[in-house]
Amino acid sequence: MGLLTLEPIHLPKSSAAETVVVYSGRAERLIKPVLDHFEKTTGTSVQLLTAGSTELVNRLRAEKTRTPADVFITNEAGALELARNLNLLQPITLPGIKTIIPEAFRAPDNSWIGLSGRMWVIVYNTNMVDPSHIHSLLDLATPSWKGKLAIPTANSEYLQAGASMVLAAKGKQTSNNFLQGIRDNADNEVYGKNRQIVDAVAKGKVSVGIVNHYYIFRHLAKDPQAPIAPLITDQEEGGMGSIMNVAGIGLTAHAKHVSAANQLIEFLMSPTGQEMFAHTNKEYPVNPSVKADPAVPPASSFRASTIPLTRLAELREPIIQEIQRLGLR
Amino acid sequence: MVRHIQLTPLSFLGIGIATLLTFPLLYVAYSAFTGDLSQAGNLWNTRLPELVTNTISLAIGVSIATLTLGVSTAWLITRYQFWGRAFWDWGFVLPLAIPSFVLAYVYTYLLDRGGPVEQSWQWLAGADVHLPSPYSFTGALVVMTLNTFPYVYLLARAAFQNFNLSFEEAAQAMGATRWETFFRVSLPLIRPALVASMFLVVLYVVSDFGAVSLLRFQTFTYAIYQQITGRFDYQSAALLSLLLVTFALVFLFAERWFRQQSRFYQTSGRVRTATPKPCSMGQNLAITLSFLMIFVAAFGLPVFLLIQWTLTAWTNGEVGSSFWTYIGNSVVLSATAATAALALGTPLAYLASRFPSKLHIACLQGAYIGYVLPGPVAALALLMLFTDVIPFLYGTVFVLILAYLIHYLPAGLQAMESALQQVNPNLEEAARNLGSKGFRTFFQITFPLVRKGFSAAWLLMFLLCIKELPATLLLRPIGFDTLAVRVWLEASEELYQLAAPPALLIVILSIPAVFLLSKKNWQAG
Repeated sequence: MGLLTLEPIHLPKSSAAETVVVYSGRAERLIKPVLDHFEKTTGTSVQLLTAGSTELVNRLRAEKTRTPADVFITNEAGALELARNLNLLQPITLPGIKTIIPEAFRAPDNSWIGLSGRMWVIVYNTNMVDPSHIHSLLDLATPSWKGKLAIPTANSEYLQAGASMVLAAKGKQTSNNFLQGIRDNADNEVYGKNRQIVDAVAKGKVSVGIVNHYYIFRHLAKDPQAPIAPLITDQEEGGMGSIMNVAGIGLTAHAKHVSAANQLIEFLMSPTGQEMFAHTNKEYPVNPSVKADPAVPPASSFRASTIPLTRLAELREPIIQEIQRLGLR
Repeated sequence: MVRHIQLTPLSFLGIGIATLLTFPLLYVAYSAFTGDLSQAGNLWNTRLPELVTNTISLAIGVSIATLTLGVSTAWLITRYQFWGRAFWDWGFVLPLAIPSFVLAYVYTYLLDRGGPVEQSWQWLAGADVHLPSPYSFTGALVVMTLNTFPYVYLLARAAFQNFNLSFEEAAQAMGATRWETFFRVSLPLIRPALVASMFLVVLYVVSDFGAVSLLRFQTFTYAIYQQITGRFDYQSAALLSLLLVTFALVFLFAERWFRQQSRFYQTSGRVRTATPKPCSMGQNLAITLSFLMIFVAAFGLPVFLLIQWTLTAWTNGEVGSSFWTYIGNSVVLSATAATAALALGTPLAYLASRFPSKLHIACLQGAYIGYVLPGPVAALALLMLFTDVIPFLYGTVFVLILAYLIHYLPAGLQAMESALQQVNPNLEEAARNLGSKGFRTFFQITFPLVRKGFSAAWLLMFLLCIKELPATLLLRPIGFDTLAVRVWLEASEELYQLAAPPALLIVILSIPAVFLLSKKNWQAG
């Protein structure tokens, strides 16, 4: 007995003192279970601050070297790349990165890596639309879709990123025509939530909408009979490919707990972490050895855009200006 | 009695406090005009027309709607005897216990496409009928009206209660009909109360963040928040803030001016007040039905839904241990801020009432600047100031508490001022003549006499802080989520059940303050 009390009984106690501070722009409902699991299995405690992605970049910038944040998680690569351009991130030096994460889904210096892919796709009402008539996302800007289209609001980071990709792939004239076209066609059918767009399509209020792919499957999971389906476009030879963005994680330049941060990043890249992170939301795991949720079309069945995600950062401000100038709501 | 005014150490303390409270806004003004002004032109062309139109039309719409609701309910309650009159008398104050963001979140659920209201409407009127989306002018108008009409009700009720009946009788003796009397005699006579309540309502609408952000209706205040959180330059946000504050200040002075002009309307001599007239069966039914509808929409239904959602969340085990942490954070933060506000407000109010020199009154007026500072603007002011000038304090609780102080000290200061004014300075004089020193006099003589008023001020500021949303969102340190922040985060994700427990708790905590408000003498002018 005497010996026992002298001996350290709770071995993990020493590592339990470890903490990692997370700034996250991802909905808490999607990230919290993953972080809780990490906390439970490793004993490293996680402190989480949830806010808007851009707001958190501003915060990191203001806090400079005093930032308490160790890692920065967002739903969208643009914010991560912006943070990198502002020297707010530092390269992640985990050995597995180059082999596990495809090059297209991480920063050139590895200061951020993608964790899961989210596609910006068309959702259509299967009773109202013949999908063989739509080949490109840009088709939705033609006058024949007037009054039949629902789009997200001008504030949507996904709309901004999507339009940036069109701009990068096709040039300013095309992206402006696209924005103008969807503005006119959607008119009042502008929604703050992707869920509402999918709803409007399912109810037949409009026949098509543009949303992140997982919202369609979330709706189908609740109501398998709903007359909706995703449509992956721009697949022809030389076309721009479907628009893919990633949710990802970056290591902050002034992280105080680098080893704990690395532990978290390693977990999120691992098959368990990937599955939890991506599957809670039916997104595409970036780790190729982990399969996507069986409900969504397999990643091998389509071709995603090859525009580097790093361009989202530089195009952000111009595209917001353009969206405002064109008066999208 | 003319006092010889000297600059005492207390004066310097007053100047220090006033500077602390006004400096952040001055810094915003300074930053707005330094640096590249090309953004300003851009803003002018793109955002401004929409923001001005939206903000003004919402302010006008809510004013008209709240006037109609508030005045008619107050008129009926003061002039007629009907079923449950005693209940309605205070029942219509209850909606003030619901913060705007809580009401907005309940209404996004109720009015959403395919939501319960649309479904029942379609059941009545056919499946093709659609209601306007809550994410619109209509949504904002409905929520803000239900949220603010009690202010008009309170002021109009007080005015009708202190109203000399002889004027109406004279009008009717001259052959005016009842309607003519109401519109040409009664309403003009309570004009000061109407103007004061309009002022409250407009200021509330213009500075509200919670409702418009959840309903995504672009007003100035919401645009400033979006500019801070969604873009990388604070300068545009600073410019917008400055415009908004200027607008609010002009409005404030206009109201002051009008109040001075309208002293004329006060009656003197013997006041005979009305005895409530009994109602017929039909009138009773009509009044009860319409009052019930208003009450259910503004308080009954939202609270019922919150209780139902809370119970569901509770039985599903979704109310975790972190919930208690949020309560702790809210209470500790708000109590600290309210106590600090009391400590900072006392010297200002004391100086202005006992030694009313120009300097001391200016210090007091300076503290009132927070009155016209919407939450996001106060937060922006502190963000800019602390990141540029005092960076080591950024991201600490201190900054958040300072934001609360700037924002809510005015509300408490009013109560503190009037409490101090009611103490006869002769008592303090006597204590001093008997050899008591300044501080001792204050704590032994003055403080016990103003304790009640100061407690009320503390409670009011405490509850305002508990409900504070935009500054807390922008300035909270990590792991310092408050109840209000949780409601907003969960409601933004449309997780109605998860948002309900903290929302319900805020409503319950607010009810005492609401009763305090309803007892206050609301006579205007």
